[in-house]
Amino acid sequence: MKEKHNWGWPIASYLFLGGLGGGMIVVAGLADLAFGEGELFSLGNLIAGIAIAIGSALLIFELGRPFQFWRVLSRQKAIMTAGAWMLSLTIVTSFAYFSFWPDFSPWHQLIGLRHLVAGINIVLGVGVCIYTGILLGSLRARVFWNTPLLPVLFLVSGISTGVAAQSLLAGSWPCHVAAGELGALHAALRSCDLALLVFELILVFVYVGMMRFSAGPVTARIAAQWLTGPKRWLFWGGLVGLGLALPTILYVLSPAAGGETAALLVLIGGVVLRFLVVYSDERIPLPGESEYYSRLPGPDAPFLKAWE
Amino acid sequence: MARFVMIMDTRRCIGCHSCTVACKVNNELPVDMIYNPVFTHGPNGVFPHVSMTYYPLICMHCENPPCVGCCPSGASQQEADGIVWVDQNTCIGCKACIQACPYRARHENPKTGTVQKCDFCKERVREGLEPFCVETCHQRARIFGDLDDPESEVSQMVNSMHTLQLLPEIGTDPQVYYIVTPGGQG
Repeated sequence: MKEKHNWGWPIASYLFLGGLGGGMIVVAGLADLAFGEGELFSLGNLIAGIAIAIGSALLIFELGRPFQFWRVLSRQKAIMTAGAWMLSLTIVTSFAYFSFWPDFSPWHQLIGLRHLVAGINIVLGVGVCIYTGILLGSLRARVFWNTPLLPVLFLVSGISTGVAAQSLLAGSWPCHVAAGELGALHAALRSCDLALLVFELILVFVYVGMMRFSAGPVTARIAAQWLTGPKRWLFWGGLVGLGLALPTILYVLSPAAGGETAALLVLIGGVVLRFLVVYSDERIPLPGESEYYSRLPGPDAPFLKAWE
Repeated sequence: MARFVMIMDTRRCIGCHSCTVACKVNNELPVDMIYNPVFTHGPNGVFPHVSMTYYPLICMHCENPPCVGCCPSGASQQEADGIVWVDQNTCIGCKACIQACPYRARHENPKTGTVQKCDFCKERVREGLEPFCVETCHQRARIFGDLDDPESEVSQMVNSMHTLQLLPEIGTDPQVYYIVTPGGQG
């Protein structure tokens, strides 16, 4: 009876959706404040808010007592409490930012207020991307997560998936820019995502390499699972190949076409990264622990049901 | 002020698992939940130089418990006497504390949706009784007491013998001390 994964697919999916949503609102906020191009990414903020809301719903679904979820907001000092507040605020502010753009919006002309919301979105978006890495990284028992590289990796991956998703949605309703005028924008987003992808590729190899060669036996074992063990297809094929290298090549080789394919691949890479990380949650074994639990009956042993 | 600690004298433990059973029965734990397993480490070495050690486990009631700091609802808490426990009414079952614990001392209860753990039988020990696992140990391998009381057996043993803590490198400062070497003089 090995220790089961306490956090599973709902958490991994949330990590992806939260990073995606956070990255998307950072992109929209920066585009608005730095280049005055927020309109192109207006629909993206609606989608980002929905992504973060779905992610938060998954977090609540994963709780043992979902109807008591509001208690997560009640303590001041826990990282998870800070994260829950940030998520709640981010859902509101990303919808709020979107609401400035449709023509029928009563506050369509309040540009100063919109810039303020864009600024708040940048801070909250970075916060949502990064806090999950700090949360997982602060759990010293889970040695593979316990490194300051994890929040950086999550941030870069979040922004990268955000750029990819925004490039897929750019120019949609309620934006008024004609589709033909988006060429320059897509070129800019591609170079942006290209830089992020190369950086993420380096980060991934630094992370796994460091775990493989400089840390303890448990981290080395998990890194070996990624590199040559049972997770090698997911790591080399899913994350490195499909999610990072192939979109990098597509961005470099085909400046005009292939942008959508590359962006979709980046999103897949983001999902694979979160699943790989969440399921790499081993502890340092205590003396004799694995032998003890391997001798216990499994959760479906008939005598366990005989009591009911 | 009291500081409750436990000593595991592995020289005396014979691996009978009575503590595991006493805890399960008296605390009415679900049938597949164990607060205090007894691990068998070994046999190590090559005959005739072999050794085998039983490690009775329990919540370490760490001085610096990582499971308390990560709790978003405040259900996981540490008392002034060092006892770490979970308020079943406020726990939401996020499982952050299970992830934070290096000793597998926290358990999810699928029936209640909450996380539960050893609380050193806090109602008993505050009345001067011993925890069930200590009371039942016929070899006196588990010794419980107040580390702040210089007259207590635990205080005298911890301060005069070579003891080990499990995974001290994680920085939790666990308050369960193991006497491992024969003679206890390490």
